[in-house]
Amino acid sequence: MKYWEDFKVGESTDLGSHSITEAEILAFARKYDPQPFHTDPEAARRSIFGGLIASGWHTCALLMRLSVEAARREEAAATGSPGLDSCRWLKPVRPGDTLAARTEVLETWPSKTKPIGFVRRRVEMVNQHGEVVVAIVGLTMYRRRPEASAATA
Amino acid sequence: MKYFEDVAVGETTRFGRYAVTREEIVEYARQFDPQPFHLDEEAARASMFGGLIASGWHTGAMFIRMVCDSMIPDAATSGAMGFDDLKWLRPVRPGDVLTVESEVREKVEGRRPDRGIVKIESRISNQRGEVVMSLVSLVIYLRRPPVASSGSPSTGS
Repeated sequence: MKYWEDFKVGESTDLGSHSITEAEILAFARKYDPQPFHTDPEAARRSIFGGLIASGWHTCALLMRLSVEAARREEAAATGSPGLDSCRWLKPVRPGDTLAARTEVLETWPSKTKPIGFVRRRVEMVNQHGEVVVAIVGLTMYRRRPEASAATA
Repeated sequence: MKYFEDVAVGETTRFGRYAVTREEIVEYARQFDPQPFHLDEEAARASMFGGLIASGWHTGAMFIRMVCDSMIPDAATSGAMGFDDLKWLRPVRPGDVLTVESEVREKVEGRRPDRGIVKIESRISNQRGEVVMSLVSLVIYLRRPPVASSGSPSTGS
């Protein structure tokens, strides 16, 4: 089990990767983000993007998927997130792109009132050309190691 | 069509109506956020949330759907750069009905002469008026295209 105490500032972790298909881009966009450059390959070709691109909310969803799987592998005692400082969609994501996710710990501090701690992290996805396509800075909460919280209680 | 020039700081809009279903919460979670309290009623009841709740990213996706249906058809937008200060304030549960209230906070002249950035704060509320999520979107608005030379002043830009 990985508790709040186990996160060190500067530590970076690879979260795995995902190759995105045109079918996935279209299915997400038709349900949640039906703008022509996400849902219509022909209209997208004529747009400023020059071709179909994924919804930014789809890219974030894929990043979440990889984060959840990585947290499961390392048995992280995560208890959710109160929010994000920022999210930037820096480059278009196109069908066939392979997106590798990674995260770096920026800051950690314990809750004053609960047996949890906060981790501020940067999470990003990089495409097969080495370009960062999305960068997020946000907070995650983790349970504290039981002995530690007992000792300080 | 509403261009960058037409957007006024302080302007407020209410829009959208999104009915959240159990099936959709589970379907989204299976694909993108497979944690027990988004997937399984039994496990969710035993969790700190006391019942099934939507993924926070799913709430974001429902928000952008409401934006697409209500705001974008009349706005000369070209996507968004991202967002700042996103807060997940309350759980979203099956049966909730979400709406959005948006307020223009700031207009930023971009480096490119044909567009600008509009910072829009949105609050997504449930049927009890409780804000479940808020964020500040950085929306790219196109500027009004220049009128062909010697255009009459009444075409106004």
